[in-house]
Amino acid sequence: MAQIEIRDVSKIFTVGDLQIRAVDDVSLGIEKGEFLSIVGHSGSGKTTFLSIIGGIMKPTSGRVLFEGKDISSLDDAGLSGYRNNTVGFMFQFASLLPILTAWENVLLPCLFGSGCDVNDKKRAEELLHLVGLGDKINAYPSQLSGGQQRRVAIARAFMNAPEVILADEPTGDLDEETEAEIMELFKKLNREQNVTFIFITHNLDLARQAQKQIRMTHGVIKEI
Amino acid sequence: MPAFTFLSFALRNLKRKPLRTAMLVFSIALLVSALVFILSFVRRVDSVIKVTSDRLGSDIIVVPAGSRGAAEDILLENKVKSFYMDMAVMDKLRHIKDIDALTGQTYLVSIVGQCCDVPETIVVAFNQDSDFIIKPWLVKKLGRKLGKGEAIVGSESAMNISVGLTEVDSVLFGNMFKMLGVLEKTGTGLDTAIFIDESNIGDILKSGKTILKPEQISIIFVRVKKGADPVAVAGKIEDSIIEVDAVARKDIGRNILDTLRDLNRIFIVTVAIASMLSIALVWAVFSAIANERAWEIGVIRAIGARQSHVSRFFLIEVLFIGCIGSILGILAGTAVSILLAKHFMLLKNVTADLGMIERLLIALISFVAGVGICIIGALSPIQRLKKMEPLLAIKGD
Repeated sequence: MAQIEIRDVSKIFTVGDLQIRAVDDVSLGIEKGEFLSIVGHSGSGKTTFLSIIGGIMKPTSGRVLFEGKDISSLDDAGLSGYRNNTVGFMFQFASLLPILTAWENVLLPCLFGSGCDVNDKKRAEELLHLVGLGDKINAYPSQLSGGQQRRVAIARAFMNAPEVILADEPTGDLDEETEAEIMELFKKLNREQNVTFIFITHNLDLARQAQKQIRMTHGVIKEI
Repeated sequence: MPAFTFLSFALRNLKRKPLRTAMLVFSIALLVSALVFILSFVRRVDSVIKVTSDRLGSDIIVVPAGSRGAAEDILLENKVKSFYMDMAVMDKLRHIKDIDALTGQTYLVSIVGQCCDVPETIVVAFNQDSDFIIKPWLVKKLGRKLGKGEAIVGSESAMNISVGLTEVDSVLFGNMFKMLGVLEKTGTGLDTAIFIDESNIGDILKSGKTILKPEQISIIFVRVKKGADPVAVAGKIEDSIIEVDAVARKDIGRNILDTLRDLNRIFIVTVAIASMLSIALVWAVFSAIANERAWEIGVIRAIGARQSHVSRFFLIEVLFIGCIGSILGILAGTAVSILLAKHFMLLKNVTADLGMIERLLIALISFVAGVGICIIGALSPIQRLKKMEPLLAIKGD
């Protein structure tokens, strides 16, 4: 059985009289430890699809099973627990809270879990060191560059040691050098910790670095 | 490293827009201070009337017809007034069933420089044999009856007349009186009066320095027999003696209370409108905050925050604003109620102040109202925000 099974998932947005099928009857299986890239044009439904897998958007129909459990049927506490412990999400924009330091932003997921203990605080520091920001622990997002903010978001996604990382254009506005560094970091974590990686990119070179690539067009998976 | 908790998170959010936070705190403080002032004012007048009528020790007061208001002014508000009726009323009262005891008092108004060398006040001439109004206080202070040419002053007048540790001689209505001392505070309007024995009336009349005529009296205090209904007896008195008004204890101060009730209604409407405005203000501010922070809430929901966590963040902010605003309001309202009370005619002359428990109760009610208004105002934006799907909140849809 695949770690993540997407079965006949559709997402329809209604704007006035218009119905938009952002994701159209998609089925897919993703194995544990897989390194998967999703490409496609803007508006092809990539972000919606990733959000449904991550439990931050409910599908209009269909089911998403994580290790056999239907996440669409979970209540708020169950779904929040899934997002908190199982999935690490990276958004396509800087998603750090401006009132928190880099260290606090990384620590944030544990605040919504069982609370932050000394080990969590130490882990947040270690993760910042891992992404090369050991000297920016107390810096606020406004004091960090775009690339540094991305790294903090990556460290945060790993905070609760998730089984799946979902990244929406994680290197979107970064220079080539930083982009390469981050991809190396992803691969390393995938290799060493067997974390499943699903990332969206417009960059076909990056997409090719994944073990498996899928293309989305008009909400449908066209190519694998 | 600084503490990282829900509380610290919420407090930092409040610091993001200090002026907005301060304005919210200020508006809640303003509302709560108005509430504290109004409640203190109403409660104070109410308690003065009750305490006074209780302490008078009389079930019914009998005054000349049309003088009920003036009598209440003297007894409840320490106002200086005079009114007289024929002393024969006392004999008529003695024939009415269910009356156990009665005693009369005559009120004389002292005018400095004309009749007396004390500031304007009420001089109460009373019969020490029949009295049951002043006696308990007099016995406590003097341990004997007042003699002719002797006087004792109410606690509030002591300072004006400079009576205290030493005895003072003063002229009252052309007669020299020895001021023997100061009565303990009774909590009634009589605290500002000077008391003399009824036997001095003859000499006072002879001096010609008063408008009082022979065989006149101002007020008669009536005690009814055990089991008799004072209201029914008062009705009987008014039916039998046409030239008097009889007021049962529970009706003493009714005129003031009626006025107060109207005032209360105005206050309640004012506070209700102010409360609604405050709720609208809190709602508007928290709606703006919710819109500003929608993407942040979307982010924290995406990384595992439950709906209850979102509520907790905002409720801490709301409670902080509500608590600080309410505490400031309570302090300001209490100070204003103490400082400004003397500027209100209704409270100008009343002697009793609110007790600590009453003040605490008013503070508690106002605190709950202040915090409650904050919570009610912020509830709808919080509900809306916490129920948004994380991705939609992030995108601002």
